This record gives sequence, structure tokens and C-alpha cells, in this order.
Amino acid sequence: MRLLALASRNLKEIYRDPLALGFLLGFPLVFMLLFGAIFSGDTLPEFTVGVIDEDNTMMSQAFVDQALPMVPVLEIATYDDTGTALKDLKFGELKAYIVIPPGFGQQVSSNWQGTKADILLQMTYDESDVMISEQLITIINDVTLAFARVEMPVTVDAKPIHVENQIDYIDFIGPGIIIFGLLILIPTSARTIVRDKEKGMLSRLLTTPTHPLDFILGYSLSNVAITIAQIIIFIFGAWAMGMDIIGNLGLAFLVFFLTGLCSIGIGMVIASLSRSENQAEPLAWLFAMPLAMLSGCWFSIEMMPSYIRTVAYAFPYAHAIDASRGILIRGVGLEAVGADFLFLAGWAVAIFAIGVVLFRRSMRS
Amino acid sequence: MTSPNDDLAVQTLNLARKFGDLVAVDGVDLNIKQGELFALLGPNGAGKTTTINMLCCLLKPTGGTARIMGHDILKQPYRVKDIIGVSPQETVLSERLNSRENLELIGRIHGVGATELKTRSQELLATMGLGARAKDQVRKFSGGMKRRLNIIMALIHDPQVVFLDEPTLGLDPQARRAIWEYIIRLKKEKTILLTTHYMDEADFLADRIGIMDEGKIVALGTSHELKNNLLEKQTMVIQAQDITEAAIEKVRTKYAEAEVTGDTLVISDKQLGFQEIVGLLHQAGVAVRSAYMKEPTLEDVFLQITGKELRE
Ligand SMILES: Nc1ncnc2c1ncn2[C@@H]1O[C@H](COP(=O)(O)OP(=O)(O)OP(=O)(O)O)[C@@H](O)[C@H]1O
Ligand SMILES: [Mg+2]
Repeated sequence: MRLLALASRNLKEIYRDPLALGFLLGFPLVFMLLFGAIFSGDTLPEFTVGVIDEDNTMMSQAFVDQALPMVPVLEIATYDDTGTALKDLKFGELKAYIVIPPGFGQQVSSNWQGTKADILLQMTYDESDVMISEQLITIINDVTLAFARVEMPVTVDAKPIHVENQIDYIDFIGPGIIIFGLLILIPTSARTIVRDKEKGMLSRLLTTPTHPLDFILGYSLSNVAITIAQIIIFIFGAWAMGMDIIGNLGLAFLVFFLTGLCSIGIGMVIASLSRSENQAEPLAWLFAMPLAMLSGCWFSIEMMPSYIRTVAYAFPYAHAIDASRGILIRGVGLEAVGADFLFLAGWAVAIFAIGVVLFRRSMRS
Repeated sequence: MTSPNDDLAVQTLNLARKFGDLVAVDGVDLNIKQGELFALLGPNGAGKTTTINMLCCLLKPTGGTARIMGHDILKQPYRVKDIIGVSPQETVLSERLNSRENLELIGRIHGVGATELKTRSQELLATMGLGARAKDQVRKFSGGMKRRLNIIMALIHDPQVVFLDEPTLGLDPQARRAIWEYIIRLKKEKTILLTTHYMDEADFLADRIGIMDEGKIVALGTSHELKNNLLEKQTMVIQAQDITEAAIEKVRTKYAEAEVTGDTLVISDKQLGFQEIVGLLHQAGVAVRSAYMKEPTLEDVFLQITGKELRE
């Protein structure tokens, strides 16, 4: 009863604040629209990518002739030797060229048969255009993964070519933006708590028989409601903008939900360490923005130096992006994202535990 | 130091609080009976709010303890929180809730049933003249309206002991009067501890007054007791024409403290002979228009005890 009274009050405080709510829901949608608009429609960019097939197996030919051309933004040009390709790359005729080394067919086949094997592709790209080369890497990566059915259940399919999905930019950016939306829950969660602390509401409520756990759950519950609304709206928004949803939506929801819980927990920790909104707000953003960058909300994380990736993978968001991309775009199941899943759940539990301890400590006088 | 007494509504036992080196509350012993309205009167920084905050378990004492209806604030804080209602000095409300929702928040936390809550909040809002605005978000209220809501937030769950920290802060005289009248009505049913730095408020409302200064209770009693037993001097104010030096000298032979400003002569001493003074002036040829013994105020009491003005 106490808990519900508090949670419903907190929820009202949030949803009756159009600015805060609009920010929470609208900001990521604007991003999504922006990215969607930039990389969509008639003005779809065409990247000419050279391919040198040194493997020359049926598998590699299928990859070149059928898998790669299915990506709408790619224009494939085949080359016989790297020398010519390099020349064209330098003259700007090509954005990149891929060398399919000998053994590619072998590697793909073993993946199809369920034996994990690393797939090697060599890609040389025009460094001067970071955005495009980065996207290209991601796209090629995704196509190859889909082609090789990495992380997909093994099916003995006689037909060699069956690319599940045409990956375009919104598919790639969709999950990232959804995670970004969940990242900006950190400032929101911190703000709701620290505002009550600063304005004296917490003190007022502390003169009532409210237990510390009531407070914590009361704040969390209201933020959980916001999170659920966010996830639904974001998934729908991304879908409306053309993001494919191949895998299990429920599983994707769960990944997003755990991510949201982590954000709420981080917000609680920040609120416990701050005395005022003026302290908590920048602190929360200082956390959320770099994390969004590092975790690959907007740009592929593959390109980043390994130490940055190590940092990124210490937090839930890079895992969440990997997992949700796997589920949504490539249609993988729990067996493929189980590790990410466990990491997210563990993180959520840990940060809540820390939050509870710190919050209780900060209430003492 | 006194010993615990369960018949008292509020009992502080050598209650103290330091903030670093600053002693905000310095060993206070108060005994407030059930149903009593007790006022803590004191200037800014006297330690009133600190005392209240300790009594409602917001702030841990650094020395001593207190008991509310027999429950120790340190050992049974949740027992205490169950039976108290607090109106803090700073107005604190949930800004995006309407006034009824604010009341219901506190009510529900205290486990008041839905129907009772509804009738009580309607009643309280009506008493405070907020009935018409019950559905408006509180952030749209004026300061005085918020203040009134702030007070009834302390009463919604029908607590046994009510703490009102400067209840009429920032209210216009009319609203102040209304709140006073409401508090007077409550007086019979509840134990109320209020703080104020308005003498007239303490004077009008309180059964007993504790004058607080620099963390200590420096005087304690009913308004009447404080004024009549504690004040060592009486003051007489005389309006007269042509107050000559000679006349003043004559008065000063008997009463050393005699001051003139314009047509007003103020004389104070331990004991004043009304007839005698008027007679003396008469003899000196002064035409006395009016003369009266000044009603002693709590201000005078405060001034005498601490050597300071209470306000301004
Ligand atoms: N949190 C705190 N930290 C440090 N000092 C404090 C704190 N709270 C109060 N004090 C100090 O304790 C003393 C008593 O303050 P308190 O608020 O109890 O006074 P008060 O009688 O309520 O005054 P006012 O009429 O201004 O409300 C003051 O000197 C104040 O500066
Ligand atoms: Mg005060």
C-alpha cells in the first residue's frame, strides 16, 4: 500500500511533466527519425565495393553473386587482382574492396554444419570517410554473419544461398537508438530521486512510517513503468521506420527491459551520491553520453580500439546492443545471446544492490 | 534531568544536537502533556527546527533522547512516525499532484482507508478554503495556499501528536487568523508542538510557552506566568504637554529610569506608583493627557532574559 502510494505519486510527477516525458520518449525518436531519414528513401547511397575472390569455391561465388548484392546500398564490382582494386580505391571509384581469402568456403561450410569456425575476410577501405567505412564494415560483417549463419540454429539446408535478411541502415541503427533511449533513463532516474531529496520531499516522507525499501521500490517501480512504455514506443517507432524484426520480440523486450533496470540502478547510485539536481544532472549525463558513444549506439563498436571496447563491455549497453541486434536483425535465440543476457541480469542485480546500500546511507542524518 | 514518564505526550531528556562545533540544541528537557498546545518561541537559529526534526526522527540527537507518547525516538522510530504529523518549516509538497492527491499520499502511507481518506481530505480542504481548487496541480497554487496545504498534510491521518514548524510563515493576517482558529479547534483533541517567532502567535495559541535561545530553553510557563512572574520591571507610559527638565528631574529622584521622547514619558522600575507619578508631574506643572501601565509582552520577557530583541 505504502509502496503503491509512493510509486503512483512518482509516476504522476513524471508523466505530468510534459517536458521531461517528451524528452524521455521524443529525444530518441528524433534520433531515430534523423538517422532513418539520412540513410533511407530514394537517395539511398550506393557504395561501390570491389571483390576479389581468391577462394573461388561455390561458396565464395554464392557469397559474391547472391549474398552481397542483396544489400541495397552495395554495388559490387569484381576484380581479379588487388592491384587494380587498390588503384580504383585510390581514385575514389571504390569505397572499399574485399578479398575473400582461400579457405572462406571451408569456413562457411563448417559453420553451416555447426562447427564454429572463424571467417576471415580482408577489407581495405578508404580511411578518409570514417562514417561510410565504418558502416561498410558493419554491413559486410552482418551480411557475412547472416550468410555463414553464425549464431543461427543449424539447419541442413540444401540450397546454399539463403540470406535471411536484407540489412539496411535502420536495421543497424534501430537497436542502438533504442538502447540510447534507455541510457537517458539514467538522468531521469537520478533526477526524480534527487529532486525529492533537494526539495525536502524525502525528509517529509521520512517523518511518515515509510521504510527505506519502500522508497527504493517506489522510485524503481515508477521508472519501470516508464521503461516499459519507452521500449514499446521505441520498438514500434523503429519498426514503423522500417526496422526488420526477425527474431523473438519477447526476448528482445527482455534484453531492453534488463538494460532499463541497469539505467534505473545507475540513476539511483548517482542520486545517492549527489546533494542536488545541479550535481546529479551533469553527473548523469557525463555517464550516459560517453557510454552511448562507447557502446555503439550510433557507430559500430568494431572499429574502436580494443581498450575502449574493453571499457564498453564492462557496462551493460554494448552487450545489450549486441544481443538486441542479434535477436532483431539476425533472428538468433537465447542460445546465442545467453551470455549477454546473464551479464545484463547480473549487472542489474549488482547495481541495484549498490544503489540500495548507498541510498540508505544517504538518508541517514 | 528527569526520568521517563509515559503519561506525557512529548518528553525530551537532555536532548542535544551538535553540527560540528556548533551546538544547535543544548540539553533540552521538555515535558508536554497530552492535549497540550506547547509553543517554542525563539529567534532565528535558536534551535527550534533542529528540536522538531529530532522529535520526528529526521535527525539523530548527538546527546540525550526523547519520547513521544512513551515511544523512544531512537529505539522505536517507526512507532513514533506512526502517531505523529509534521508540517515542516519549508513548504514541501508534491508539485505536480493536486491538493487532494497530496493529502492522499500521506494518508495512504499511514494506511488510512479510501473512504475515510476522501471525507477527511474534503473536510480539511474546505476548512482551509482550498475546496474549490482541489483538482489543481499544487504548483499553480499561491504561496499562502501551499502553506495551508502544508499544514493539513500533517493532519490528514489524524495523528496523536502534531508538530507545526512555523505554521503561519508567510501568510497574510487573514489567513493567519484562520489557521489560528483552526489550531484552537484542534487543541482539545491533539497534542500540538508548534514553533514560532511571533510573540502574538505564541501568546494567542499556546497553553504553555518555552522560550528558546541558543539551543536552550531559557524560560518556561504560561504566557501569564512568563509576563508576570519573570518580568522584574513595570513600565508606565505618559502622554503630556510641556514636559520640562525640572519635571523630569523631579521624577528621576524617585525613578531613575525615565526617558522623554517628544510628548511621551516612559518610566520603568521594579514597582511603580501610578498615583504618585501623576502627582509628581502635576506638582511640576505638567498637564498629563493620558497615562497607562504598559501591558508586558513576551518580547519584554525575552529582552530581559537574553538581553536581545526577539525580532527585527
Ligand atoms: N544541517 C545543518 N548543518 C549545520 N548547521 C545547522 C544545520 N541545521 C541547523 N543548523 C544550525 O543550527 C542552529 C539552529 O538552527 P534551527 O534551524 O534549529 O533554528 P530555528 O530556531 O529553527 O531558526 P529559524 O527561526 O530561523 O527557523 C543554527 O545555528 C543553524 O545554523
Ligand atoms: Mg526553524
